[in-house]
Amino acid sequence: MLLDKGGFTVFRRLKRIIGLEKLMGVFRKQKAISLGFYGAVNAGKTTLANRISMDWLGREVGTVSEIPHETREIQKVENVKVETDNGALNMNIIDMPGIATQVDYKELEKYGLAEEEAKERAKEATKGVIEAIKWLDNVDAVLVVMDSTKDPYTQVNITIIGNLEAREIPMIIVANKIDEKEAAPESIENAFPQHVVVPISASTGENIEELYRAIQEHLT
Amino acid sequence: MASKRKTAKKKTGSGKKGSAEEIRLDFIPAEMLSAKSSPDKLEMILSRVKKNIIVVLEEALTPQEEADLIQQAMSEIDSKEFFGIEFYRIGHREATLLDRISSFLTKRRAGITIVGPTRMVEAIKKEPDHISVFARAGG
Repeated sequence: MLLDKGGFTVFRRLKRIIGLEKLMGVFRKQKAISLGFYGAVNAGKTTLANRISMDWLGREVGTVSEIPHETREIQKVENVKVETDNGALNMNIIDMPGIATQVDYKELEKYGLAEEEAKERAKEATKGVIEAIKWLDNVDAVLVVMDSTKDPYTQVNITIIGNLEAREIPMIIVANKIDEKEAAPESIENAFPQHVVVPISASTGENIEELYRAIQEHLT
Repeated sequence: MASKRKTAKKKTGSGKKGSAEEIRLDFIPAEMLSAKSSPDKLEMILSRVKKNIIVVLEEALTPQEEADLIQQAMSEIDSKEFFGIEFYRIGHREATLLDRISSFLTKRRAGITIVGPTRMVEAIKKEPDHISVFARAGG
């Protein structure tokens, strides 16, 4: 491999310092950005990916379920062209399996899965987490999706954001599920004040236009 | 230098697993950690955690080490005895150039990292003025 993880980071920094990034942007305006959807399990990543894909392509990215680890493989939708007030953007949506530090099949059995089915799902989920982390080196920008009804200051969120910062990958934090009664998107803003936070509801579409504007402004 | 070990029972030896009756914590001092490479450090953490031992490191893991720790833990989940980890890193963000230079020169990342087996450590919560670890014996 020509460039390792550290090499890519140095390359990104160099591009920014000497202005190559903007210059290269002029010549590759039509190139789609690879936008990774990262977050904890059941934060609403696939619901958001489906919302965006349905809005602009008329088809879904993946299935959504109350049972944890529904998304166990990376799902991609290419060339999603979005129109915003500030112009058009072209992106490849990459919906990642939820990041977890533990996968216990017994927890999955509580959702009505049989033991073998739960074990199989757990096994696939562990592989999905490993793949999602590996993919950090392949994305141009990231939406970090958080459930705004829950405490945002979890180690999973801290690890995701710390790794994006270390790799200098631009990100937006999506404070999802604001349609729910217990939602407190301000707690996410307070936990990560150094980053852009956009409160939305992926399931109802509330404030989704603001997210498109933020992607255009901060990630392209 | 040998690690200092805080245990619930004085009789707990260095090779003994945590058991159904006790919660064992191993405190690993910064001097010992600075002598280890990242892979060695992660192996040391996981080998203890898989024996139902909660590990307290006198150091903040780097984001890359945290990601590697998650990946390694995932690859070792077996659906029989080991179901993953709970962990929390307190302190130290290499946010500024000065922080990075300081870490490079001192080879230390000030902070604490707590790692435990998920069936034993139910939650680690950050409060405004402290961190709470909720654990139960046995795992």
